[in-house]
Amino acid sequence: MKNRLRVLRAERGWSQADLAERLAVSRQSINAIETGKYDPSLPLAFKIANIFSMKIEQIFDAE
Amino acid sequence: MAMNAAQRRYQVRFWPIMAFYVVAVLGVTWLFNNQPPEGPIKFVIAVLPALPIIGVLYVMGRYLVEEDDEFLRLQHVISLLIATGLTLSFCAVWGFLEIYHLVPVIGVFDISWGYFAAMGLGRLLAKWWYR
Repeated sequence: MKNRLRVLRAERGWSQADLAERLAVSRQSINAIETGKYDPSLPLAFKIANIFSMKIEQIFDAE
Repeated sequence: MAMNAAQRRYQVRFWPIMAFYVVAVLGVTWLFNNQPPEGPIKFVIAVLPALPIIGVLYVMGRYLVEEDDEFLRLQHVISLLIATGLTLSFCAVWGFLEIYHLVPVIGVFDISWGYFAAMGLGRLLAKWWYR
């Protein structure tokens, strides 16, 4: 699953560690999601969407 | 790398168990070499070093339940699956070789340490895959 996490994070000037801290997950989690190697669960996807004040489908693309 | 709460709890539980293991192995070995226990109690004493190994398996299970980070939980599950697969595969292959007397018989005790070593390998593989 593709996502815009890296772009959205960069737009806000956040490091992976910053985003990880906001989501209360490990930095490895953020890296794995950004590189498309790990798809987050629905609760975590909602959390990510809330952090960016966006809808899940605006961040994640099932294509 | 900073540890989260579940990882800290794992460490706090793991190291005292390992310390007990070292003491139990040294103590029980000394006892059986110098003053071998008699009667049924000898079985209880002989099993003492196995208890921390069971304890470590329990601690690993607790970590799996308590880890809130789903990605770290996945990595732990992968390492457990790799360890289980490697260990049981080794047992199957070596076991048949033993049956036909093609290799020496190894102690069942060594399998448990092989499992932990395989888990370490599994952890490295999981980290490499998600690097």
